[in-house]
Amino acid sequence: MSSIRKFLNNSDINRFRFYFQLVAFGLLVYGGYLSINIGDQLPTFACVFDDKRGGSCYLMGFQHQMTFPYARLFSGAGIGILIGLLTFVGFFIIFNKAWCGFACPLGAIQDWLTMLRCKMGIYYSSYSEPVFKRLSTIKYILLALLILIPMGIGNSFFGLPTLNHDFGVPFCMICPGRTLLPLFNGDFSQLAIDFSSKTKMVFSGLGLGITGMFLAGAFAKKRFFCLFCPMSALHYIFSRASLLRLTKDGEKCTRCGNCYRVCDVGIRAIADDLEHINIVKDDCMMCLKCVSACPEDGCLKASFLGMPVYESTAEGFFRRRLKEDD
Amino acid sequence: MNYFAGIDIGSTSIKIALCDEEGSLAAHATCPTGSHFHQNAKAAFTDLLTRESLQREEVSYVMATGYGRKLYREADDIISEITANCIGATKIGLENGEIRTIINIGGQDLKVISLDTDGHVKNFAMNDKCAAGTGRFLEMTARNMEMDVMELGDCHLSAKGPPITINSTCTVFAESEIISLLGNGHGQPEIIAGIHYSIARRVARLAKRIGVEETVFFDGGPALNRGLVEALENELMQPLYIPELPQVTTAYGAAFLAMESVLYVGGNKYA
Amino acid sequence: MIESERQARVRKSTSLHLAMEAAETLRQITEFPDNPESMAYFYDLYQSRFKDGMILPQNGKKLVGTMCLQVPDELIVAAGAVPVRLCSGAYAFDQAGGDFMPAKSCPLVRATMGMLQVNNDTMKDNLSTIVIPTTCDQKRSSVEMLRNMDYPVTVLEMPASKESDEARTYWQESVKQFALSIQKTCGRKITAKALNAAVRTKLEAGKLFRSLQQLRTESHPVILGKDIWLVSNSYFFDDPDQWCKAVGKLIAELDSRKSAGFSAINRKAPRLLFTGSPPIFPNLKLPILVEQAGGLVVADETCSSERLLHDAVVFDEKNLNDMVPAIADRYLKPCTCPCLTPNTDRAKKILEMVRSNRVEGVVYQAFSGCLPYEMEQRGISDMLSREGVPMLFVETDYSPEDQGQLSTRVEAFIESIKVRKRKKQ
Repeated sequence: MSSIRKFLNNSDINRFRFYFQLVAFGLLVYGGYLSINIGDQLPTFACVFDDKRGGSCYLMGFQHQMTFPYARLFSGAGIGILIGLLTFVGFFIIFNKAWCGFACPLGAIQDWLTMLRCKMGIYYSSYSEPVFKRLSTIKYILLALLILIPMGIGNSFFGLPTLNHDFGVPFCMICPGRTLLPLFNGDFSQLAIDFSSKTKMVFSGLGLGITGMFLAGAFAKKRFFCLFCPMSALHYIFSRASLLRLTKDGEKCTRCGNCYRVCDVGIRAIADDLEHINIVKDDCMMCLKCVSACPEDGCLKASFLGMPVYESTAEGFFRRRLKEDD
Repeated sequence: MNYFAGIDIGSTSIKIALCDEEGSLAAHATCPTGSHFHQNAKAAFTDLLTRESLQREEVSYVMATGYGRKLYREADDIISEITANCIGATKIGLENGEIRTIINIGGQDLKVISLDTDGHVKNFAMNDKCAAGTGRFLEMTARNMEMDVMELGDCHLSAKGPPITINSTCTVFAESEIISLLGNGHGQPEIIAGIHYSIARRVARLAKRIGVEETVFFDGGPALNRGLVEALENELMQPLYIPELPQVTTAYGAAFLAMESVLYVGGNKYA
Repeated sequence: MIESERQARVRKSTSLHLAMEAAETLRQITEFPDNPESMAYFYDLYQSRFKDGMILPQNGKKLVGTMCLQVPDELIVAAGAVPVRLCSGAYAFDQAGGDFMPAKSCPLVRATMGMLQVNNDTMKDNLSTIVIPTTCDQKRSSVEMLRNMDYPVTVLEMPASKESDEARTYWQESVKQFALSIQKTCGRKITAKALNAAVRTKLEAGKLFRSLQQLRTESHPVILGKDIWLVSNSYFFDDPDQWCKAVGKLIAELDSRKSAGFSAINRKAPRLLFTGSPPIFPNLKLPILVEQAGGLVVADETCSSERLLHDAVVFDEKNLNDMVPAIADRYLKPCTCPCLTPNTDRAKKILEMVRSNRVEGVVYQAFSGCLPYEMEQRGISDMLSREGVPMLFVETDYSPEDQGQLSTRVEAFIESIKVRKRKKQ
C-alpha cells in the first residue's frame, strides 16, 4: 500500500493530466462515432451543438427547463427537473472541480493554447491580479442571467411582457463551446451570424466576439475563460459535498508560495490561507499542480472518500523538478 | 552511616556540605578559593572529615559544583551550580512553603532563578561579563571603609539619613566615587546604604526580567548582610527568605543530589 | 609608517588571529567522538581556507560578493560569475571592524565590514560587485561605508513586508532590475538555459540538504548539529558541484550508520532547536557549547543554515519572463527574517519545527546589537511557554570571553530539560 502511495506521490501529475485531457476530449467530442453517451447532465462543456458528442452539457437542458412557466415548473415536470439536477450533482460530486481540470474540452483547448504559446517562446501578459479577481465575479452574474432570462420566457416579471423564445438558451448562444467544439467535427455552421431574428443576430454576434476573446485571452493568459465560467460558479455551490477533496494542512505550510506561483487561475489563498482545511476555491479546477509544486510533506493533499490519492512530498517534489529536462 | 558530600568551588570561596542518609545537613565548611583551589578544596575536605572524625570511605559519593567543578577530578559526578542551588533552596525552604524564586549573590556573579511548582528550574538570568553588584563589590567597599565585610550590614542599619545615591555600578568607577564621597565628608553608614541600594536595584532589574514570584529565597554569602537584605526587600517590594547558612545552600544541594543519586536512582538523575 | 605598510601589518596580524580562531573552532568540533569520516572534506575545507587569511575562492571566474541570503544567487551564476557570501563569523574581523564601526553594532555586520576593510586592496579588485539587499538597518547603512572604501556596490531594494501584492510586485521588479544590472557587471547575458541550470544546481543542493536534515532528526541521531553548520556554512563559498558531491557522500555514510543502528550521541540527549542570529564559522560558539553540554541540535531556524537551502524555486514556463519572478518569489515569500513586518511566519515555522521534530527545548541566540532578533525574542518565548517548551535566550557576540559563563547557563538549561523529561516518564 505504501509503495503504491509513494508511486502516486512521486508521479508527474501534469503529464498524466495532459493524456487524461486528450482521452476526455476524444470521448466528449468524438464519442458519438462509437455511439457513446455518458449522459445529458454532465457538469462540463460537452457541447450539444456538436453532433458527435459523447455526452451533453447540463447547462443547455437546464436553461431550457427554466423557460417553463411556474405552473409547469411546480407540477410533475418539476420532478423531472429535480432528477436532472440530482444527476448533474451526482456526476459532479464524484470528481468535484476536477471536471474542469481534467475533462472540460474548453479547458483542454485553453491549455493547448498555452502550450502553443510556450513553444513559440511568447511570454504571458502581465496584468493586475486584484483587478482581475474583481472581474471574476462576472461568472456569478452570468449564472444568474442564464437562470433569469429563460424564466422571463415562461413567466412575466413585475408585469413586464414575456421574452420570446429566441432568448431560450442565452448562455449557449454566447458560449465558445458552441462555436468551437463542432469545428472539431468539421462543422463550421456555428461560426455564422444568425440573421433570422434581431435577438438571434445579437446573440450570435456576441457569441463570435466572445469566441475571439476566448482564443486571444487564453493565448495570453492561462485559463482566461475559466475565471468567467458560469458552470464553475454552479459547481462551487455543490463543491463542499464532493467526494474528491483538496485539503491543506496549514501547520505544515511555510507560505513559500510555490503553489500560488504555478496556479493557472491565480488563487492566492492556496499559499496564504492557513486556517481552512478545504482549500477548493471557486476558480479552482483541481489540476493539482499546486500539490505537485509543494515541497512540504503532507501539506497539500487530494483525497477521494478520505483516501489520499495524491499528496505533496519533498521526495516527489524534487524528483519532478529535477527530472523535467532529462 | 553513609555520608554524601557536595563541594561547591566558587570564585571566592569553597563550600563543602555533608549530608546523611536522611538528607539533612550533617556538617559544613568553607575556605577561600585561592589560587590553588584544587589543593585547597582537597585540604578543606580532609579537614572537615577529620573534624567530624569520619573516614573518607564513609563518604560514598561526592558531587562537585560551581565554577571549578570540572577541574575537581576526585568528584564522582558534577552538576551545574544553578541546578544544585535550586535543589538546596527547595529542601531548605521546605518548612517555609514553596520556593519559587532564588536570588543568589556570589563572589563574582549574581543569579536569579525562577522555579516551577515542582521545584524545577523554569528560567534563570545571570549578570553578564561584569562583576558589578556582586560579592566583589562588597569586598571593595569594605576595604575602602576599612572594615570587615561582615560589619557592613550593621553599619548600614545605623544610618541616620537616607542612603546616598551611588551612580556607578561598575566596581572600578564606584570605588573612586566612594572615595570622593568620603572626602566630601559624607557619613559611612549612608554611603554603605547607598551601595547596598545600588546593588539591590541591579538585582531587582535582573529579577524583573524573568518575573518574581513568592516565596523569594536569598542565598550566597552576601545574604548575611542585613543591610543588603533590607535594601533588596525594599527594591523587590517582597519579603525575602534567608536561610540560616546562606553560603552553603548550593553545596548542600549538591550533597543532597549525591545522596539521591546513590540511594534512589543509582546514578545521577540529572545527567 | 606609510599607509600601505600599516595596512599590510594589520592584515598580517588579523590573518594570524583568524587562523588561530579557525583552528580552535575546528579543534573543538573534531574533539567530539565519532565524527563521520566524510566530514573530513569539510574539516579540510575550512582548514585550508582560513589558514592564511585567504577568504575568496580563486578559479578564474568573476566573483560577486553577497551580504545576505536574500540575494538570488541563481542570477549571479547564470550571468557567469561565482557568488560568495561575505557574511563573516570571525572575531578577528569583528575586532578589525571595531576600529571604525559603532560599539553597539551587530558583530556579523561589523566582522564583514572589518574583513572588507582589512583586505580592501585585494578584495576591491577581486569582487566585481557586492550585492546588498535593503534588509536590516545595519546592512543598509553599510552601503555608503563600502562605497567610501571604493567597493562597487549593487543595492537590491527589498520591501519591508511581504504580505501585499504591491510588495510582491515591487520585489519582482527589483529582482528583474538586479538581473539586468548583474549581467552588465559580469558582461554576460542571462539566458533561460543558463538560469535553468543554476536553478537546478541549487535544487540539487536543496534536495541533499533536506535529506541531511532528515537524518539529523532521527531518533537514533547519526550526526550532530555542529557538523551540519559546517556543511551549510560552506555553501557560502564552496563550489556547488563539489559541495553536492561531498554532501552526497556524507549522506551515504550516515545512511549506513542509520541502518547499523549507530547513535552519535546518547539517545536520551535533549533534542533542541536553535534559532536567532546566525552562527557562522568560526563563531560556532553557542552550538558547540550546547552539544558539549550533552544537548543535541536536531533542527535550526537560522539564515546560515536551514533558511539558506530549504526553499526551492518553482516556475511554470522555461522562459525568463516566468523564471525571474519565480526566483524573486523564492527569496521573499518563505523568508522569515525578523526584518520583515509582520513576521508571524517565523513563529509559526518554529512551532511547526518544534512539533514535527519532537523538540524539547529551544536555544535562541541574539547577537548584541542585532535588534530585530532581540525584539522578537519575547514573543517567541511566550509562544513556546504556551506550548510547554522551555527556551534559553542568550545574548552574546563573537568574543570568546563569555564561554565560561555561557557554559554554566547552557548546562543548567540542559539539566532542567532532563529533569522535565524524567518527570514525564
